[in-house]
Amino acid sequence: MTHTSHIHDDGSHHDHDHPHAEISVGEKPGYYAVMETAVRELLIAKGLITANDIRHQLEVLDSRTPALGAKVVARAWVDPGFKARLLADGRAACEEFGISFYDDTQLIVLENTPAVHNLIVCTLCSCYPRPVLGLPPDWYKLKPYRARAVSEPRVVLREFGTIIPDDVEVRVSDSTSAVRYLVLPMRPAGTENLGEEQLAALVTRDAMIGVIPVTLDQEVGQ
Amino acid sequence: MSGSEDLVRRLPNDIGGFAAGSVQRVEHDLLPWEKSCHALADVLDFTKIINTEEKRRGVEALGETMIGQLSYYERWIVAFANILFAKQILSPTELAMKMAEVEARHVDAGDARG
Repeated sequence: MTHTSHIHDDGSHHDHDHPHAEISVGEKPGYYAVMETAVRELLIAKGLITANDIRHQLEVLDSRTPALGAKVVARAWVDPGFKARLLADGRAACEEFGISFYDDTQLIVLENTPAVHNLIVCTLCSCYPRPVLGLPPDWYKLKPYRARAVSEPRVVLREFGTIIPDDVEVRVSDSTSAVRYLVLPMRPAGTENLGEEQLAALVTRDAMIGVIPVTLDQEVGQ
Repeated sequence: MSGSEDLVRRLPNDIGGFAAGSVQRVEHDLLPWEKSCHALADVLDFTKIINTEEKRRGVEALGETMIGQLSYYERWIVAFANILFAKQILSPTELAMKMAEVEARHVDAGDARG
């Protein structure tokens, strides 16, 4: 993240009179960015962490997107055995599926049914099933969602355009630093002929948070 | 309830159930330093230097005013600094000196580029 020397691993070299498109060049970092660099470099200098730890974790963060969660959901829709294992132990089933958990968290998968709609929140901060969904959106971390999801979930859902009928129970699960949740949305009608990959393409991040359903016209609706 | 007991019962993070405005579906791609801060947080957790719960409490300990004015990752890095001071892993002087050095590095780089 800091200025790097102009040595390229691949041994390439070119004229460096032009500015790189990379971050950092020339622009003066803000107070907090300077603080972050300083803390990181001090800890590295003390041998408490390594630059490689940080580089590796940046790569891990880049590798986690809602597409992973979508694959898990699609597999659960087509494979009842996997779904049963997923609902019994979310983390173990995801690991079996090849998704590593880089943090010390448990995953509870909550199944939406015609009778129950699940919604996840972290009222205290921003806990989120990051190994399977990546980083949370800003609105998930901001006060309106955190404050109101637990007290008036139906109103909050309406703000996402989701109307839950009165006879459907709404369950809100509040995440903690150790326990994270993922919503298993309902498979939409009319998808009987779709393959697993096509199904996964329908599943959005917001559906796995529980603020919207999965619909066939997802890409149009979004 | 007349007021002050609410401050005792609820720390600043504890906002579940409070009234608040409507949800605006805002999102932004992390700035490079924010992403680096996130990676740092994860590494601090893995290495048992600062775990997630300590981080959460560290943010809480910033108090309502700072929580209200700092952005998400600004709160994190300030909380990390405070926790590292408390654990005597870093000293405030050490951090101030290092920050001056990092800043000078960028000033130099800017000058060099003219």
